[in-house]
Parts: sequence; C-alpha cells; structure tokens
Amino acid sequence: MDTVSDRIDRIVDEFADLDGREKLELLLDFAGRLPPLSADYQARKQQEDRRVHECQTAVFLWPEVSDSGMSLVAEVAEEAPTVKGFVALLAEAVAGRPQAEANELADDLLDRIGLAEVLGMLRSRGLRAIVGRVRRELLAAA
Amino acid sequence: MAHYADPDVLVSTDWVAEHLTDPTVRIVESNEDRALYTQGHVPGAVEIDWQVDLQDQTIRDYVDRAGFEKICRDNGISNDTTVVFYGDKNNWWACYAFWVFKLYGHPNCKIMNGGRKKWQLEGREWSSERVSYPPASYTAPEQDKSVRALRDDVLKHQKAGKPLVDVRSPEEYCGERLHMPDYPNEGALRGGHIPGAVNIPWPLSVNDDGTFKPARELEKLYCKANHLKRRSPTIAYCRIGERSSLTWFVLKYLLGFGNVKNYDGSWMEWGNCVGVPVVKGSLPEGGDPPAAPHAEA
Repeated sequence: MDTVSDRIDRIVDEFADLDGREKLELLLDFAGRLPPLSADYQARKQQEDRRVHECQTAVFLWPEVSDSGMSLVAEVAEEAPTVKGFVALLAEAVAGRPQAEANELADDLLDRIGLAEVLGMLRSRGLRAIVGRVRRELLAAA
Repeated sequence: MAHYADPDVLVSTDWVAEHLTDPTVRIVESNEDRALYTQGHVPGAVEIDWQVDLQDQTIRDYVDRAGFEKICRDNGISNDTTVVFYGDKNNWWACYAFWVFKLYGHPNCKIMNGGRKKWQLEGREWSSERVSYPPASYTAPEQDKSVRALRDDVLKHQKAGKPLVDVRSPEEYCGERLHMPDYPNEGALRGGHIPGAVNIPWPLSVNDDGTFKPARELEKLYCKANHLKRRSPTIAYCRIGERSSLTWFVLKYLLGFGNVKNYDGSWMEWGNCVGVPVVKGSLPEGGDPPAAPHAEA
C-alpha cells in the first residue's frame, strides 16, 4: 500500500537508527528535493497571503487538493534548511494521495522521526505547528 | 569614543581563516537552524547548540557545572583554549553561547565579527566534514553571577530605578505584540515592558553584513540618545535572552560598561510572572497615548 500512513512509516524507518547528525543530513536530502516555485506560484506568492506567520523564517505554503490528489507546494528561505527539509518531507508524504488521508499527518511525526530531541523544545514547537497547519488546510481545501 | 573598549574580544573572518588549524583555538558555531552547521561550517569548527547542549532539558536553566565541563571536554576545549564563536542571525546565538561560557568563567572567548553571513559574503570555504577532537581536560568554577540577572535581581533593580534595556522590537516593547514579527509566540501571557526600561532594538547595533557598528555609533545610540551610563549597573533583556546576549556583549565589551547583566529569563518569564509590574506604551515609565509608529526593528 502507498497511503500517507505507509509513506510516513517508511520515512520513520529511514530516520530510525540514525544519530542526530545523520538525521539532519537526511533532512538536508529532503530539503534538496523541494522543487523551486514555478512561475505560476511565484506570481501567486505576490498576490496571496501564504506566508506562515508563526514560523521563524520566510515560509510560504500552498497545501492544495486537485483531481490528482493532494499536493504541498512550498518555498522556504535557504537560511532555514531544517524547516525546508521538514516541509519537503511533508510534501513527499501527501503528494497525489486522496484528501481524506490528510488526517494521517499526525502531530507526533516529529517525535517519531526522532527530530524533536535533536532540535530541542522551542524549534520543535514551530515544526509541529506546520504539521497542524498543513493538515487543517488540506482537509479544508475545496 | 573611536575604538571598542575591548577590541581583542572580536576577531575578523581573516583572523579565523588564519587560525583554522591552530591547536590553541577552537572555533564554535551556534545557530538558530542546526542543519546549517550540518550543511556547511567553517573548516574545523565544532557545533555547540544553545538549546540542546547548553540548556538543561528538564529544568528551565543552563546545564550545571559538570554538564558544562563535559561539553568542553567533548569538544576538545581546555581551560586555556581560545574559543571563537560565530553563527547565523548576526551572531545572536554565538553571543548567547559566548555568554554561557562567561557564566562559567571561561577566560578567553571571542566572537567572529559578521558570523556566518560575512563568511558567506566573502565566498570563503565551507566544510561538511564531521569534526572531532581528542577530549580535553576542563574544570569550571561555579557560575559567575556578575553576568546573569535572575527575576528577583531584576525586580530589585527595577524598584531602585536602575537602568534596564529592552532590546525587543518596538511593537513588543509597547505591548502590541508578544513576540517578534514573524516569530512564534512562545507563550507570554502579558505584553509590555519592565517599568523604566528603555527600548533599543538589537538590530541597531549591527551592520548589514552582520558586523558590529563602529564604536562611535554605538556610543551615540546607547550613551547619548538613550542616556545609559558606563558606571551604572545595567540589565538587558529580550524575549528568551538571545537578542539581549548580543546587546550585553555590545555594552560590556564594545562600550566598556563595568556592570551589565543579561536577564536570560526575559519576557518569557516576566510576561508570565504573577504580580510583577508591567508598562504598556512607548515610554519607559508608561502613561503615554498609544504608540506612534516606530522604525522597523
């Protein structure tokens, strides 16, 4: 199966048994796979309020649902590779899956991949807020 | 004032580039985003994280003396090592780590002026190699209370009408918002500032390339425009103590204030304390009409 839950389980497995440094390296791999914004989204960035104001750096998120399922388009400042990697991971987890599976993005994701202790309490709080926001907006998408 | 009071406490990127393999020097990176170090750091630099390494993970405090000694030993830092800090965000966290090292009395600490930003702007080399050094021997004294203000110290200081510097944005100072623009609200229940505190937002101390402003400009800002005095005991605070570490550094080492402390509990403690005095508005003592627009912090 390839549900959001299955994908998350696979991601959790990838992170398991890595030390803190390796976890961050893996997160950087995810960050490197986040595609740059297309011209279409670059234009929308100017017109829409897609900035995540709770977030420590410039993060723009478009959690969307279309006929081909869910997608998460995002732009994250280069100065925040941790956030960029985590958002890329979420994008890979939801891509193309049916809307209802957004519920499978659970709040404990950060803890399951073992990043909470690598990042500390304050940073983790910000990333958990992103999971909640992406889930809510995907579920609410028309 | 044409020169910094203690110019030796700053080193240039050139100096660091020349001392990358100097065994008497340890270069330490401390960042807001930990993955930055993983991505690329000054060759040979170790990472000491302000949140995961320097703070106790159970009680809200710094690691104890034994914990600090272990961090130093594990990073090959001995009592006589020159430790040079740098990081992202104009060296906030570098100053914070520097401050914790001073809290435990480490003699020779320096800041790389300009931090990651300047190193990057100059197109210098980054390394993503793992760095480790043979364990060193380290013995730390008890905490040096002369650099740290706790809540009760601040309360006494405030009641005595002594100078306080609030380094947050004007919006936070006035009580219009509880956290930095674009930053998460880490949970203060009340907004405003400590009565008597003047508002000198930290970014006014740094240039666009992340370096500190020249002595003359700092003198003008802190001593002339805001009437702070080198001989008066002064306390700096912000929201969680990181931005005020940078201001503490500026006051103590660049301007030569004799007695300046960082209130690391800062607004995250004060804004949640029961019964402590808080003032809203743009004036130190309050009582003014709603704040006029301020310069961007």
